[in-house]
Amino acid sequence: MTTTTATVDIASIAPAGARFERPGADGVARIVIDRPTDTVNAIDPPLIVALAEAVAAARAARPRGLVIASAKVDQFVGGADLAMLAAWPSATEISEASRAMQRLLDELAALPCTTVAAINGSALGGGCELALACDYRIAGDAPSLRIGLPEVQLGLLPAGGGTQRLPRLLGLPAALDLILNARRLTARRALRVGLVDEVVHPAALARVAAGRAATASKRRPAGGRTALERAATWLPPVRAIVLRQARSRVRRETRGRYPAPFRAIDAIAIGLARGMERGLAAEAASFGELVTSAVARNLIALFMLGLHQRRAASAGLPREAAARELAVVGAGLMGSGIAQAGAMGGMRVRIRDVDDAAVARGLAAVRKLTQDAGRKGIIDRRSSRRVISRVTGTTDLSGFHRADLVVEAVFEDLALKRRVLAELEAVVRDDAVIASNTSALPIAEIARDARRPERVVGIHFFSPVHRMPLVEVVRPARADDAAVARVVATAQAMGKTVIVVRDGPGFYTTRSLGVMLGEATLLLEEGARIEDVDRAMVAFGWPIGPLALIDEVGLAVADHAGRTVAAARGMTVAPRAVRLLAEAGLLGKRGGAGFYRYDGKTRTPNPRVYELLGSPTATSAPVPEDIGDRLTLLFLNEAARCLDEGVLRSAAEGDLGAVLGLGFPPFLGGPFRWADARATELPDALRALAARHGERYEPAAGLLTGRPYHR
Amino acid sequence: MSGDTFRAYQTFVWVPWSAMERAVVVGGWRTPFVRAGGDLAELDVLDLAAAATAETIARGELPVDGIDEVIYGNVSRPVAYHNLARELVLALDLPASIPAASVGMACASACVAVTTAADHIAVGTTTSALAGGAESLSNVPITYTPRLARALVRASQAKTLPRKASSFADIRLADLAPVAPGMTETSTGLTMGQSAERMAAINAIPRADQDRWALRSHERAARGWDDGRLAAEVVPLYRDGHAIRTDGHIRRDSTLEKLATLRPVFDRAHGTITAGNASPLTDGAATVLLMAEGRARAEGRTGLVAIRSYAYAAVDPGDQLLIAPAYAIPTALRRAGLALADVGLIEMHEAFAAQVLSTFRVLEQNGVGTIDLDIVNVMGGSIALGHPFGATGARVVVTLANEMRRRGAQFGLATVCAAGGNGAAIVLENLG
Repeated sequence: MTTTTATVDIASIAPAGARFERPGADGVARIVIDRPTDTVNAIDPPLIVALAEAVAAARAARPRGLVIASAKVDQFVGGADLAMLAAWPSATEISEASRAMQRLLDELAALPCTTVAAINGSALGGGCELALACDYRIAGDAPSLRIGLPEVQLGLLPAGGGTQRLPRLLGLPAALDLILNARRLTARRALRVGLVDEVVHPAALARVAAGRAATASKRRPAGGRTALERAATWLPPVRAIVLRQARSRVRRETRGRYPAPFRAIDAIAIGLARGMERGLAAEAASFGELVTSAVARNLIALFMLGLHQRRAASAGLPREAAARELAVVGAGLMGSGIAQAGAMGGMRVRIRDVDDAAVARGLAAVRKLTQDAGRKGIIDRRSSRRVISRVTGTTDLSGFHRADLVVEAVFEDLALKRRVLAELEAVVRDDAVIASNTSALPIAEIARDARRPERVVGIHFFSPVHRMPLVEVVRPARADDAAVARVVATAQAMGKTVIVVRDGPGFYTTRSLGVMLGEATLLLEEGARIEDVDRAMVAFGWPIGPLALIDEVGLAVADHAGRTVAAARGMTVAPRAVRLLAEAGLLGKRGGAGFYRYDGKTRTPNPRVYELLGSPTATSAPVPEDIGDRLTLLFLNEAARCLDEGVLRSAAEGDLGAVLGLGFPPFLGGPFRWADARATELPDALRALAARHGERYEPAAGLLTGRPYHR
Repeated sequence: MSGDTFRAYQTFVWVPWSAMERAVVVGGWRTPFVRAGGDLAELDVLDLAAAATAETIARGELPVDGIDEVIYGNVSRPVAYHNLARELVLALDLPASIPAASVGMACASACVAVTTAADHIAVGTTTSALAGGAESLSNVPITYTPRLARALVRASQAKTLPRKASSFADIRLADLAPVAPGMTETSTGLTMGQSAERMAAINAIPRADQDRWALRSHERAARGWDDGRLAAEVVPLYRDGHAIRTDGHIRRDSTLEKLATLRPVFDRAHGTITAGNASPLTDGAATVLLMAEGRARAEGRTGLVAIRSYAYAAVDPGDQLLIAPAYAIPTALRRAGLALADVGLIEMHEAFAAQVLSTFRVLEQNGVGTIDLDIVNVMGGSIALGHPFGATGARVVVTLANEMRRRGAQFGLATVCAAGGNGAAIVLENLG
């Protein structure tokens, strides 16, 4: 084997996935990447070896220009093969693989001929770094194309020279923005920031790329387009300011839980201050450490669960197509969000509310959400206009007869939902499915009097719908499998990750969350202070404190959900704080006061809460234990019971539901992954809490089996 | 043959004339009609057409892949829309495979859309079509003088800057003023109003009769809204968080005395036509869903109203510009095998009260028959409701079909006069 770059580890690997094509009449050679049995061209050691050989061949062939292209449809080159990364045990081995990738890209960058990446589809992570090592990047105008370095999202950093070449190409500020925010740019956005040099029709891509490779000269990136950008990149004092700002922002956003963004900033800083070689070394070293860290492993595992869930969601269900004609009852915050998600997913949507004002507001909300999506580059502006025009509004049920799926999103009131269901059954087709959007009400109760209960399913969207990636589909005992399958497919077409749970009060997410929120209020009765509870939970990694969350949701809704859940769990003493507050007229953030008092943008803990609860003391009582750990353990225990009872189908769905729906700290990988990580001491820790606080902490049966939830 | 098999069949085989299908009106809806410069001023003609059509698709419970064709009328067409009907298909994100044609016959444009769709259904090239029309008289295309327009074209074709500059050499100051589209007949130089004055004079229609007809139009339109009949055909337009739901022009406080005080507009000395007894400039759109009868029945649709026959007629614009319906009506009736007395309901476009009354007079003179006024425009007409040029033809068809269903009338007649001396008449038959 004749490799010039591979190390001992990699030299023994058979090359696969890239071929060199000799220069044609125009003097342009090509390297075509086509990793066998993989639609995304993910980067693995055999591909690195094959690419290295192809680059060596390109050097020997002395072409005038070189085009790097992909043989896949709508896909350039993906990132590192995550399954492979997760399996590699040692940090040094991983760093070495990263070094091999870096050397390959250095070789590519050092070729004497002009190099052009013909980006025909997504180029994320390693694929983007490959393109960055070329002199020019030309993108095809494919709607699905995304380009960027989103590694930090997985707890990693770009380790194929991305932290070095991106700031040198775009300037430091833009590079930090792209890397730290894990941006995935459309072709047009990439053109605007300068990440690609030209966007052309996909059919013209090969010709344009070859033309540029044949005629353009090699170039040296300037470190930004404006003088200011170049100053931020190259002048040490300016650079120091930019880096300091980036670090403080990251510190604020990650609360110290995620090391990857800091490592990325470090690698960029080292590279710019002390040269690319040092920068690359820092990049590779950090990559090895991060890949083997618990945080990255958990984040990667979650990401893979999400990918796997696309198929796993409909496991055991018949094949059903997503709804094409969607109807939504209720044009409020949820209804309009659902309608907009449907229209974004290509559906035609009819939305109904009781009066003109409500319909008009709902349609205006759909318009605004869609225009925002256009502005943010999630979709292009022309298609945003088409999305808006797919949604129509009405105050009657006209247009509902053609609906394949009706989502009922009216207020959480059993009688109201039953009445709406009856109205709907009178107008929809027999083969239509009616899905009730509820966070807690049992679907069997809602469908008690239904004419066709087998066509009634539950669907739990999270608010705000356009931002929350999870949908919990609730499968009542009487429902048709085909009806459930249609709801699953429809939610997936809306771009959501779907978990399927058994019917019951609070299902999975609301039940587990409700138990934890109730416990948070009990802490107050034990003498903890409001701000201490919330601060502890945020420090633990939750996005918002439980008491602030109750205020956001509103105490009336929280009380209703809490009682529904408590009744179902057979709790004799439901936590009473929420009801006491609600009865005292403290209705939460919208009402101006709840656990906190709200005044404009500031909030202060509400002393009336202590009075109402008759707490032992309103002065600072030292909290006896780690509040974050205790509350999160109770959440975990409840999630485990959901799995024991068959509310959840799998631990994977439990992890996805908790992280994507409720903001369970992602770096823990979800409740079940967290349980696996602490398997040995978990039963004792829970028993100790049970002894102190009650049987609700008694470990769930599944936690005592000694078997891990995952693998 | 069911609708679907018929469709599959006609994809491959040209269905001969002998297999002619009856075209039926399945439903139709319109936007509120609002005086130009009013609540709809910020919507352009495509927005209006899209609103009426989206609702017709939804309320017609029609899956979008069930649409074969779109035919749409419009008169003062913005230059950006070379083919408004096709823009409509694309703006609504209907399947891109739906062919669409724009048609024009001034105020009878939407009649042409409806009858063309009916023809296509009859010969089997289409099994379902959306036909209608729209007008935004708040947004008429303003043009340049011909001299300036030619200079602009020359400049855009010139390669060098000096040549571009020299293209404007013979432009005078007066050429720079924009030109609004006129309401003048090109062949006669008379405005629509002047032509109507002529009709009033020729047929000796007194001012008082015209005012009475105008008052009747407002009173009946108000009644049509009050009892919900008009609300049933008008869809709300949702915009910026509020809804526009009702026609904007109906005057509930109108009286003969008030109407009598208005000054004639077109002939200040001897004229009879005022703003009160003429139709106003209006924004709006209306769309009709037509289907082959076989397909509509196969889909279980009820309340079908068939296009039984139609006719177009034309007269010399220098004579009585808007009298052509008086000639189209007998032809359409003859083609339907009916007499005027068989018709139970009439929707007649009211460009001017003088034109309506002149038409009655000429029908009588020509021996077609005497119109029973009780069955004409029972929910008012264009004088009260407004007249968006491109949309009116579809509006009269929708109103007529709906009221025929309500009354159980077996035959109905819709008729529209148009600039240029054209006139349209369509006979509908209630299939029960």
